[in-house]
Amino acid sequence: MSERYVPVSWNRSKILYDMTLAACVLLYLGAFHALGDRPRADGASIDPQILAMKAYGSCAFLMMSTALAIGPLARLDRRFLPLLYNRRHLGVATFAVAALHAWEVVGWYFAYSPTQPLVALLSSEPAPGAARDLPFVPFGVAALAILAVLAATSHDFWLRFLRPPVWKALHMALYPAYLSVVAHIAFGHFQNDATTVFGALAATVTAGVCALHLAAAWRERETPALAHRGWLAVGPPDAIPEGCGIVVRPADGEAIAVFRNEGKLSALTNLCAHQNGPLGEGKILDGCVTCPWHGFQFRLVDGCAPPPFTERLATYNLRLADGVVYVDPKPNPPGTPVAPLDPAGSRR
Amino acid sequence: MSARAAEFAVIVATLYGAFGGAVALAFLIFGVERLDPAARGAFAFRAAIAPGAALLWPLVLWRWSRAGADGRAGR
Repeated sequence: MSERYVPVSWNRSKILYDMTLAACVLLYLGAFHALGDRPRADGASIDPQILAMKAYGSCAFLMMSTALAIGPLARLDRRFLPLLYNRRHLGVATFAVAALHAWEVVGWYFAYSPTQPLVALLSSEPAPGAARDLPFVPFGVAALAILAVLAATSHDFWLRFLRPPVWKALHMALYPAYLSVVAHIAFGHFQNDATTVFGALAATVTAGVCALHLAAAWRERETPALAHRGWLAVGPPDAIPEGCGIVVRPADGEAIAVFRNEGKLSALTNLCAHQNGPLGEGKILDGCVTCPWHGFQFRLVDGCAPPPFTERLATYNLRLADGVVYVDPKPNPPGTPVAPLDPAGSRR
Repeated sequence: MSARAAEFAVIVATLYGAFGGAVALAFLIFGVERLDPAARGAFAFRAAIAPGAALLWPLVLWRWSRAGADGRAGR
């Protein structure tokens, strides 16, 4: 927003979110160490450093999977929306845990190498196709590099510096990073058959993330917007729950969120001015919709952020015909006031 | 990757990072307020954006130089 920057804009929800996240990570790492420290049936035990690198690596993978699952989960069931809030801190924490994994790997395998440890790490595998084994280190390095860029550019300053569409496109790189991690795990697993359980777990989690994305995409496909004289049918007024919104998607152009507040309807672009977050999934407080991602607020009547903030969103015109609410897909200039539609008053 | 290629990659990354660090330091002291009014009088957040400035230093330098040119033209 237009206020002065702070390192982290804490509030009660974010503190609770971060404390829960930290507790989950510490619990996982503690449980991993406790279970992995036990001697096997053959009397052998895992070196503490190897245990640590496996703990950090698997934890980072699960955190990435969670970060990617939250979006579709929230689209499928609104009860998951609180997880969407403050997802950036989850991303930064994921990078930190992944970096600890890399630190342990370099420290264990290459600390006493005659060559420089990073050089030794990068040259530790033959070129693809040059040997029977599949290279898995480059995939891990690539994923860590992407996570580093995403974590380093997570502050609001970078959102403004890069502009929201570029920032959002950059942060979609989490998907190639995830693919790299999956390849890193899979190819590493093929070379180390001692971790069958983790191979199966990783495959299940990856399949789950893919399934959630497919399910969310399928559900959105089920509700296409119907055109009526150029306007889009939103549905009967009662289909829009009080204090919430629903989203309609024109064939081209931005998705539109239609809200009900105190019985009256208003429409704004579905993209938050902050990070293009899904406003249609936000709740209404004091006549303003609150973005579920970071809590940015916009007045329903004109799309403006309340003072002292200056962000403005495009508004849309609504009308009621034959018991159906329609929205004009042509956006008004950002900040244009539009009188809310009163379905009770419009019925003849 | 061959040892020679790995050595080259590490040297390039080190030089990129070292130069990026210098650019980031200068940008956070002298440039950030020119590019973003919300940075005026805000200091603690600069540590949080330092890694990004070091990573994206070519873009930072370009935007900073443009902001400087625009400022001079506007006088």
